[in-house]
Amino acid sequence: MKLKNHDHIAIIGGGPAGSLTACFLLEMAQKMNISLHVDIFEPRDFTATGPPGCNMCGGVVSELLMQKMAAEGISLPKSVLLDGIDSYVLHTDADAVFIRPARAEMRIASIFRGAGPLGAESQRPLPWTSFDQHFLEMAMNRGAQHIPRRVHRLARTADLKLQVFLRPERGETAGCETPSDPYDLLVGCVGLNGSGIKLFDDLAFGYRPPPSDRAWIVELYMGDEEVHRRLGNAMHIFLLNIPRLKFAAMIPKGHYATFIILGRDVDEELANQVFHAPQVRQLFPDGWHNPVRPCHCQPRISIGSPQRPFADRVVLVGDCAASRLYKDGIGAAYRMAKVCALTALTRGITAQDFKQGYWPACQSLERDNRLGHMLFAVDRLLRHFPPFGQALLMVIRDEQNRPQDPHRLGSAIWDTFTGSASYKNIFVRAAHPVVVVRLLRAVSKAIFTRIRTGRQVQKQGYPHVI
Amino acid sequence: MLFNGDKPMLGKEFADGETITWAGESGDCLYVILEGRAEVLVDDGSDAPFRSSILEKDSFFGEMFMFSEGPRVATVRALGPVRVMSIDKHGFLQWLAEDPSFSMRIMAKMAERIRTLSAEVVRLRTVLRTRVPHENA
Repeated sequence: MKLKNHDHIAIIGGGPAGSLTACFLLEMAQKMNISLHVDIFEPRDFTATGPPGCNMCGGVVSELLMQKMAAEGISLPKSVLLDGIDSYVLHTDADAVFIRPARAEMRIASIFRGAGPLGAESQRPLPWTSFDQHFLEMAMNRGAQHIPRRVHRLARTADLKLQVFLRPERGETAGCETPSDPYDLLVGCVGLNGSGIKLFDDLAFGYRPPPSDRAWIVELYMGDEEVHRRLGNAMHIFLLNIPRLKFAAMIPKGHYATFIILGRDVDEELANQVFHAPQVRQLFPDGWHNPVRPCHCQPRISIGSPQRPFADRVVLVGDCAASRLYKDGIGAAYRMAKVCALTALTRGITAQDFKQGYWPACQSLERDNRLGHMLFAVDRLLRHFPPFGQALLMVIRDEQNRPQDPHRLGSAIWDTFTGSASYKNIFVRAAHPVVVVRLLRAVSKAIFTRIRTGRQVQKQGYPHVI
Repeated sequence: MLFNGDKPMLGKEFADGETITWAGESGDCLYVILEGRAEVLVDDGSDAPFRSSILEKDSFFGEMFMFSEGPRVATVRALGPVRVMSIDKHGFLQWLAEDPSFSMRIMAKMAERIRTLSAEVVRLRTVLRTRVPHENA
């Protein structure tokens, strides 16, 4: 059962996963001389500032995705790109190190998913445009129809096609739902936040969303000059020994700096601990106080695998199905949207087709994420051992002083946060014998230095505290 | 900054007349033109290299190095300010393994270039035949 001429497809959710699925379906179908009718149901207005127009995300387009889009002829207009990022600064408890790839080129972009943070409306006309709106318009330009309504319920028809019931709007009689015409394929791109994910319970095909955790994202207005003076064109990563913290990041975004905290059960207490860490404070202007009510969200992020994100004529794409751990969510949506479109057009739209064509790609991401979990677990363990932090920075600096060196550790850390390579690839480089030997040597040097410094302090005596 | 005031832009910028890649150098990446135009110059042994084509926005060059080894055959120079993004060979081959459809656009472009070259060979042979008729006798 493949998609054929004049088939109707409903896509629930018009974020990047939904818009890209529509784009790929329409583009590939055109090459196969198939005419499809694609409806995207998205009630959110991406031209609105603050939560009504935002899909809650750190807003970084990875190096990998930027390159893929450039190669496939998908260009992002200047107005969507807030800033270019060409380097990372890694802050640990011991010190900080600047990581820059050998190729001096900006290949990472920061963007706003909606029209910008709450309060930005005072700057209208806004000097930037929404990333999600751009992709939605791209899908519409390729022939998709945007239906700005919230879906209330899903059901199957007698011939097992899908029907969409819209939530009544103001002025319409409550409970008086009008079913849509039957759809041949239903694609769920509902993310993990919001009620969209519950819609698929109606269809009872055994889908269970991936386990998730909450991130903490806050947009801080500092002014363009201050942001670039403090952060430069670099994304700042904090690997600090704070309980429950995986890592925190600060991203330059025009007049704003986006602060992201990832960890276990991130709450206000953890956020305060991170904000008050000296490594973080030094990046803020003197006397900085966080705004009383900044634009802030705590979105759910996927940290595991879903169960059965497909059925006959139904498939889920994006965060509600498979994503990459802690990075490159938009890049993962791009890849999965393409695999989904390819499966539906070349293999078919039954559960068996999705199991053979789409599910292996989800599982491949999941297998790679397991290695990511392992890398972060090792990192957490070693953060309790301060000489390791020093050794890590020592090895990266040592690599930077060797122009012919392949910079295995530096590039592995770069790729961990840029999303430029799989966790498997990163793992292979980080566990390379040369890196391990250098790290062990640097750890013993760090321990020796600590012991020597400690003895000197003991000889000189500790300063008196009055 | 050449393009957008003081806003840092993606890719790498080249000023008018600046060489992006040199003929003879070994290549390890593909370039996509994000903004501006560039000329492709081929050395034919005469005093000055001749311009074989002009590349516009969204065009790419260096694609042959994604599939084969050897030095670059042409020099690519900026015609006005140009912004390009490079794609490393290693990453390119990895994506290709994950998603073979990724190469469709590049293969289509290569096919188009082969078609243009074939037409050029036919044209040159015709010119040659009219100038040196005894060779074909």
